[in-house]
Amino acid sequence: MVVTDRATLGRPTRPRVARSSRKRRRRSLIAYLYILPALAVYGVFLLFPLGRSVWISLFHWDGLTLATWAGFSNYVDIFSDGSLRSAFEHALILIVFYSVLPVCLALLLTMSLSRGRIRGRTFFRTVFFLPQVIAMVVVATAWSAIYSPDGVLNKFLDAIGLHVLTRPWLGDFSWALPAVGLIGTWVEVGLCVVLFMAGIQKIPIERYEAARIDGCGALRELLAVTVPGLRGEIAVALTLTVVAALRNFDLVYITTHGGPGTSTTVPAFEVYHRAFETNQVGSACAIGVTLAVLIFLITLVITRIAERGEA
Amino acid sequence: MISRTERVANYVILCLFAVIAVFPIFGIITSAISAPGDATGGFSLPHSVHWANFSDAWSQGHFGTYMRNSLIISAVVVVAGTIFATMAGFAFGTMDFAGGAVLFYLFLLGLMVPEEAYVVPLFYDLRDAGITDTYWALILPQIAQSVSFGVFWMRTYFRSAPPSIIEAARMDGASSWTTLWRVLVPPARPAIVTMMVLIFMWTWNEFLLALVMIPTNESRRTIPLGLAFFQGQHSSDFALLAAGSVVIAAPVVLVYVFLQRHFIAGMLSGSIKE
Amino acid sequence: MKITYLAAAVVGVAVLAAACTPGKKAAKPTEKPTSAISTDIASAGKVTLSVWDQEVRGGQNAEITQLNKEFMAKYPNVTIKRNSKSFTNLKDTLKLALSGQNPPDVVEANQGYPDMGAFVKAGFLQPLDSYAQKYSWRSRYPKTLLDLNSFGSNGTAFGSGTLYGISQTGEIVGIYYNKQKLSQLGIKPPTTWADFEAALGKIKTAGQLPIAFGNKDQWPAIHEFGVLQGQLAGKDAVRNLVFGKSGATWDSAQNTQAATLLQTWARNGYLSPGTNGLGYDQAAADFGKGTGVFLITGTWEVADLQKTMSSNLGFMLPPPASAGGSPVTTGGQGLAWSITARSKHADVAAAYLDFITNAHAADVMTQTGNLPAMRPASAQPPAGTALADIFAAWKTVSDADGEVPYLDYTTPSFYDTLTANLQKLLGGKQSPKSFLGTLQHDYSDFQKTKK
Repeated sequence: MVVTDRATLGRPTRPRVARSSRKRRRRSLIAYLYILPALAVYGVFLLFPLGRSVWISLFHWDGLTLATWAGFSNYVDIFSDGSLRSAFEHALILIVFYSVLPVCLALLLTMSLSRGRIRGRTFFRTVFFLPQVIAMVVVATAWSAIYSPDGVLNKFLDAIGLHVLTRPWLGDFSWALPAVGLIGTWVEVGLCVVLFMAGIQKIPIERYEAARIDGCGALRELLAVTVPGLRGEIAVALTLTVVAALRNFDLVYITTHGGPGTSTTVPAFEVYHRAFETNQVGSACAIGVTLAVLIFLITLVITRIAERGEA
Repeated sequence: MISRTERVANYVILCLFAVIAVFPIFGIITSAISAPGDATGGFSLPHSVHWANFSDAWSQGHFGTYMRNSLIISAVVVVAGTIFATMAGFAFGTMDFAGGAVLFYLFLLGLMVPEEAYVVPLFYDLRDAGITDTYWALILPQIAQSVSFGVFWMRTYFRSAPPSIIEAARMDGASSWTTLWRVLVPPARPAIVTMMVLIFMWTWNEFLLALVMIPTNESRRTIPLGLAFFQGQHSSDFALLAAGSVVIAAPVVLVYVFLQRHFIAGMLSGSIKE
Repeated sequence: MKITYLAAAVVGVAVLAAACTPGKKAAKPTEKPTSAISTDIASAGKVTLSVWDQEVRGGQNAEITQLNKEFMAKYPNVTIKRNSKSFTNLKDTLKLALSGQNPPDVVEANQGYPDMGAFVKAGFLQPLDSYAQKYSWRSRYPKTLLDLNSFGSNGTAFGSGTLYGISQTGEIVGIYYNKQKLSQLGIKPPTTWADFEAALGKIKTAGQLPIAFGNKDQWPAIHEFGVLQGQLAGKDAVRNLVFGKSGATWDSAQNTQAATLLQTWARNGYLSPGTNGLGYDQAAADFGKGTGVFLITGTWEVADLQKTMSSNLGFMLPPPASAGGSPVTTGGQGLAWSITARSKHADVAAAYLDFITNAHAADVMTQTGNLPAMRPASAQPPAGTALADIFAAWKTVSDADGEVPYLDYTTPSFYDTLTANLQKLLGGKQSPKSFLGTLQHDYSDFQKTKK
């Protein structure tokens, strides 16, 4: 959204022909009529509940009986309640796996795909992107099997003589979160590759030639030409993947349900858990609202940084 | 241009990652056709092809019903979402009107707000309205989510349409309605198809809404949810789980293989939806 | 990005939704007098009874399937629409189902504060005292079992008062063992707790897995810890805690001992490796195939285990401190079958409850390898089977009044607190002291709200 948004919103509007205000009002009316169906559904089923969420977050409510006023205490809990705070910390760790790692790997793959003639470029792109289109439920099912105590990963480690490393990945306090995170890496790499492949074509070939004349190696070329040239795409990739990391509900719900202990709970999971499993609806809404604000802020920061770099 | 060693290294890297990308999917497929006892998380090649898992999943897991529900819901969301978004995108893209900018930002808000931020009150309100456990509880909120992307997408497209076409249509005395559907939409087909495949994928794969909005009525459950519940009941029967997974993933993967260009174009546009 | 617009949009949305206090006052379901209850189900007209249960395992499923079929054959005007889910899935969705527009007619609710208590408080469950009188349920069950299905003062006092459900199956946690493996290792089924612990060490030294145990699902450890706590702290201490008697505390020396022992078992490799990542069902299936000499879990597993192990399977109560001492174990009965307050067919639902818990149902349960909560004389399991062991154990522990309630009943949030922290204890992430401290914190918070 970041890039396109700027491109479209920033464009000067068409020169207007002066019109009589009545005609203008009539045109406005027509425009509203076109927007009405979309706005009605959107307003009732998205905006309204969003507002309600803010309101309910100010109550203690078990979802069953009458609520009691809580003020901001549900928000205070997010910072003071250890288990909630750690849910947000887990989300930040997941960002490393969902965003930073995929972007780095995708840069490597993009470089491999674009330096020199590579046969089957389309094939590779298709394959890398494939995890993006598969339902999270299916992804979670497949990876739960891979990580299970007698799953592929442990069998593989056994086979190459690394028995000491085998463990129940999703049931291990230190490894469960990275294990979940790596599933995210697996999903998001393809998105980044595709973004970067589209972007790299826009980098003028002369820059690469100049770099080569200067005797740059592959790494220098990457840092001096590719990364700056892909700044916009990297910003988009970071935004998309960070949001994906913060919205991680399905994966946690199916693979670990927040366990072992509470070592893989994330805010998105806590929203569901509290609202529908432990009768803390007000707190659930507060977490949801906080999550929305957090996503908004992170998006804003990434966009700002990318813009500043360009100017 | 590049050294032979580097070229080999490039192929090695690409092939390695391609294998990693495909491996879990491949494992699911082989498990789905293995004999139930053979299929474990170990992902081994099947001794014999065992199609019965699919019919078992179909009957034991009620996947037939779930499939029908998913199809109905996706179809309605795609059609309604596309029509509404096209109309609104047309207004935002080609007309100047008071409050247009604010309204447009309002729609953009929906692209950024995660579902988790409103799903809880949505559930309680829809329940009080008596529509949880019906198709509507999944259809209406997903249309709402789809239009926030769709409006943004179609507005971008209509903005790029040459004003001369619209002007010419108006000269011919065409109403704005005719201009939209007869003049602007036909050349917009690629953009609209892109939007439709994305809405289809999101709706088909949706999990949280389906989990929350259909609390009691098993006959309205969608297919991803069916798999999650199936997992609770048959956790040690991996062949059936894998067969169910294949059934869920297949439609979207097929659409993806044939309409890849659209998927990629749409997702690159920067939709924030997962 | 025009922040002002977005901010304006957000504020607008918030204003839009400012409404009254969320939620409704709890309903107060009333009971009709015993005389107004109709037991003439055949003339009740066409009725579809929606039933939610968690009897998904082989033997349990067979039993319910058969009883449902028989009920519908007896009353052709009644159709049972059955919806069965795993325990965890049922726990997740039942609350939403009960508070929704079309709640099921009959549900299986977990006893204690987290579930049944919350439902009673919100007025979702039908009080059953009149039905109990009409169908003489009070003579069908011992009082201790009925008490576990009862709540006083609108869901705030657990363990006495109005009856809200009846259970079908009896349930105790005990120790399954692999007879062949024990004899191969030269170990006799232990008769004292010290013997049992010695056996574990011996098995481990012999290079075998002492106890098969999967705790990925989080709840199984409640039973493991419950058994240890029962042995080390005694039944009165546990009961006082669960029922919230004043002076009871989690922070006791005996409880610490129990938590320490559980952690030591995990550390010494007495439990399945990677227990927090291993599924409960998977561990039980592995035990059936010969991994692990003991399996500490409930009687509900017997039908499935017997299928794979047949006469090789044995069952015993956790052995008492001294041979022949009085036994203590976690358990009592299966989940309570309750009628929802808004069911339009309460009379039919009550007849169904009666049908699945009567003497004939007990026979069906026995034949399908389940333990009925009220043991009838007519059907007995074949001698020498684990089911026969279980029937004997059930009688022994009932006669000795040795059942202690499941620990998750204790407070509304206890299921969550206990399961998450048990995983930490097993994973070595938490000391026994801080484990019990966390439990005590949850416990005292709740006791305060009750005053």
